[in-house]
Amino acid sequence: MDPLAELKQTFFQECEELLGALEQKLQALDEGSRESEDVNAAFRAIHSIKGGAGAFGCTELVAFAHVFEASLDHLRSGRVAIEDAPFGLFLRCSDAVADLVSAARNDEPARPRPDLLEALERVGQAEPVAAAPAAAASAPPVPTAPAPASDDAPPGIAALGNLLAMVEAKSAAPVKPIDDGWDDEPVAAVAPAEPVKAGSEICLRITPDRDLFRRVIEPRVVLAALPSEDIVSVSCDLSHVPSLEELDVTDCWMRFAVNLHTQMSVEELHGKFDFTLATEEFEIEAMPEPANDDAAPFAFVAAVDAEVPQSVAADLSAILAKLGPAPAAAPEPVPVQAPAPAPVEAVAPPVPRPALRAPANDAPAARQRQAVSVRVDLDRIDKLMNLVGEIVITQSMLVECVRSLPYDVYAKTAEGILTLSRQTRELQDHVMAVRAQPVKAVFQRMPRLVRELAQTLGKEVRLVLEGENTEVDKTIIEELADPLTHMIRNSMDHGLETPDERGAAGKGPEGTIQLTAEHRAGRIVISVTDDGRGINREKLLGKARSRGLVGPDEKLAPEEIDQLIFAAGLSTAEAVSDISGRGVGMDVVRRNVESLGGRISVDSEPGRGCKFTLALPLTLAVLEGMVIRCGDDRYVIPIASVIETQHLANTPIEHLTFGQEVLRWRGEVTPLYRLGAVMGSSGQRDENIIIIAETERGGNVGIAVDEIVGQQQVVVKSLEANYGAVNGASAATILGDGLVALILDVDSMLRLAATGSRQPVPELKLAG
Amino acid sequence: MTLQLGEKHFSSAQPESAVRRIVTFRVGDRTFGIDVGMVREIKGWQVTTPLPHAAPHVRGVLNLRGVILAVYDLRTSIGLGVTDATATHVIVVVDVEDKTAGLLVDSVSDIVDVPVSAVRPAPDLERDEHGLIEGLVLLDTEIVALLDLAAVIREGGAETPLARTTRAA
Repeated sequence: MDPLAELKQTFFQECEELLGALEQKLQALDEGSRESEDVNAAFRAIHSIKGGAGAFGCTELVAFAHVFEASLDHLRSGRVAIEDAPFGLFLRCSDAVADLVSAARNDEPARPRPDLLEALERVGQAEPVAAAPAAAASAPPVPTAPAPASDDAPPGIAALGNLLAMVEAKSAAPVKPIDDGWDDEPVAAVAPAEPVKAGSEICLRITPDRDLFRRVIEPRVVLAALPSEDIVSVSCDLSHVPSLEELDVTDCWMRFAVNLHTQMSVEELHGKFDFTLATEEFEIEAMPEPANDDAAPFAFVAAVDAEVPQSVAADLSAILAKLGPAPAAAPEPVPVQAPAPAPVEAVAPPVPRPALRAPANDAPAARQRQAVSVRVDLDRIDKLMNLVGEIVITQSMLVECVRSLPYDVYAKTAEGILTLSRQTRELQDHVMAVRAQPVKAVFQRMPRLVRELAQTLGKEVRLVLEGENTEVDKTIIEELADPLTHMIRNSMDHGLETPDERGAAGKGPEGTIQLTAEHRAGRIVISVTDDGRGINREKLLGKARSRGLVGPDEKLAPEEIDQLIFAAGLSTAEAVSDISGRGVGMDVVRRNVESLGGRISVDSEPGRGCKFTLALPLTLAVLEGMVIRCGDDRYVIPIASVIETQHLANTPIEHLTFGQEVLRWRGEVTPLYRLGAVMGSSGQRDENIIIIAETERGGNVGIAVDEIVGQQQVVVKSLEANYGAVNGASAATILGDGLVALILDVDSMLRLAATGSRQPVPELKLAG
Repeated sequence: MTLQLGEKHFSSAQPESAVRRIVTFRVGDRTFGIDVGMVREIKGWQVTTPLPHAAPHVRGVLNLRGVILAVYDLRTSIGLGVTDATATHVIVVVDVEDKTAGLLVDSVSDIVDVPVSAVRPAPDLERDEHGLIEGLVLLDTEIVALLDLAAVIREGGAETPLARTTRAA
């Protein structure tokens, strides 16, 4: 891939994250958050998208994002009160931005949204709240122009945005201090009208090294360390920016001068930049302090060289100490000044520790804002995962080899082997953890779905997300989106009532759908709860009877009726809508979920609402299995399907017609299958053990096997990759001796068994 | 038939590029060949796990460094019954289409360079109903049947013995 395309790819990936953040913040605001930080974060997200989009010439996206950004800016500046802001509109706009991004990504023509643009432009026009000097200071750029510096965008693209800002500024304006080079930095325009605070004038010169962007630091981040109310002015010197031909896009040529009026000491200021700048990259100069007569004008250069004579350092400290109402006036030596710590401390009063701690506490936060994560190609993680699987197998092979050694040798090796076992298991857990992702990736898509559906259905819906950070293996994440979409659609369409109906039922007009995720007993449990009308049992049962799913005289408990919602071909919606109601929804969900080794259930309370609960394994890459033997062959049956095991001797077997055997288990007649016969195992079989297993339909079957070898975690290996689907098995694994064992799929096994009886199952195709 | 050419390496006017490099291996008294490029590795016999109700020529699956692949018994494919596999038997691991598979044979014999012009089209043998043989190469005293691996893997065990046809050639 050529570098630009690669960069563009990265941009789109970042866009997804930014869109997620944008939507999340807007959602929070819509739900009543009054945090200005949420507004700022939303603003930054759209701003970063605009910046990157400008760099890649996505003009429609830039144009839209620009207008969007401008209206969000009204919130930031206070021109529009947060309480009055049309967040519904903003959310629709964020959807539109998502559409534009995906159009740009696929090189498709974007759908113009004049309606939204118009609505956006009206924001802030209606109520020109008095004070808006801040916003006035910076005229927004022409929509199609590449965006100026972006802030929270990840490094690569942000650097490009910064570069563009530099180039823009360079070509637009002459050399000298100009407006700060980006259009929306509020700190630049703080009006010094307020009563003069106590404090001193400090001049800060920031001369970042050329590699600033490459260190993943941006001027904005640097300046953000300063309290904005202390900033008197910021100017940017662009005179060092070389001509376009000689410019390296990743170099930083900006120089800043910041005038501060602050109560902070030079030392405190120093601390503010510890995490962003090297000491030689900035100078802090205290201006003459008119209020303080006995202090002679002096300059304190923060980047004191190590060569500065100790006496001078001591003198400076003395002056500072005298000056000092500031709590942390004592100049704590920067490491390079180390030669003179003792005298300095001798002069300076003891340093109040907490004051110094403060900037240090900011450190994790500051660092967090930058990249603490690394993008890794999923392919690489998969390879790593495979390799770990290999190690696990090799390790168990070793264990078996060692067992055959003479005792004294064995004893010596055993300990090492034991440690190795523990370490490999740990390694596997860690690699699994790397693959784990928060369910947020899927949850994030739901608010949009709900918004759009709410509009189509004319319902008022509030979506509440909980436990978005619950982590689960990526194999499961990929499989979650469809069932969740179906479930939410179902709840919105069938569960929730229209505002009128809700009113009649004595509920508020707005329905609530709650989507939660949590870890429970080694599974991830996701539930979708609505406060709608609940399942209409009468209607559902009527439908089921008319379809012959339930006999005319059959009596069902209310809970049993509810479960019919998962039966194929049932839909109780009056009108078949686009959203759901083709009678495939919950049936398909159930089958998908069960094919993943999960379970789905429903709890409904008429008139009060309905709750669907989905329990899935945390990963599809490994599973806990019971190793069983039948004849000469070994198989693995997922523990999740096993209900219990027992001796054949304790279980009376009866024969029905067609040779079908049944056994009585917990008072139920349960069909019995002999694994060896079904799977064609070779060798002598005694079939002494019966495993009671659960089928997808919730029924139970008995499976007769020879022996239970053990229980272990197995790495799931595909049979399809090099062979094809195998009836009776879902996949294979490699056991400790290096041999392959099939992982049984109870339902597929039953279908396989059925082909031997009088009723062939049509969907089954026997190999060969 | 007097098709013996007396030389292993042909001295024809074919350019170098028109030479096929072939791995030959034996099943019983017959020699088969496949292009060397398809062979990934050659390994000794290893116990396989049988698959339920698979075609007769599918011996089962084995673990090759963490990858599970199926092993096909070439003897069954050509209708000579099931190989009684021992440690001396060989599995030729091949790449066929986008899959990796193992071919159980008695032994691997040689690697030979054969001019493309010396490959004869497979005679239209009614016995080879599955089209397992892609062409024939005549070497010294032996005849090498070039296998169409995709067909070998796709087709279940041939019920009609190919034996006589190759011997007749």
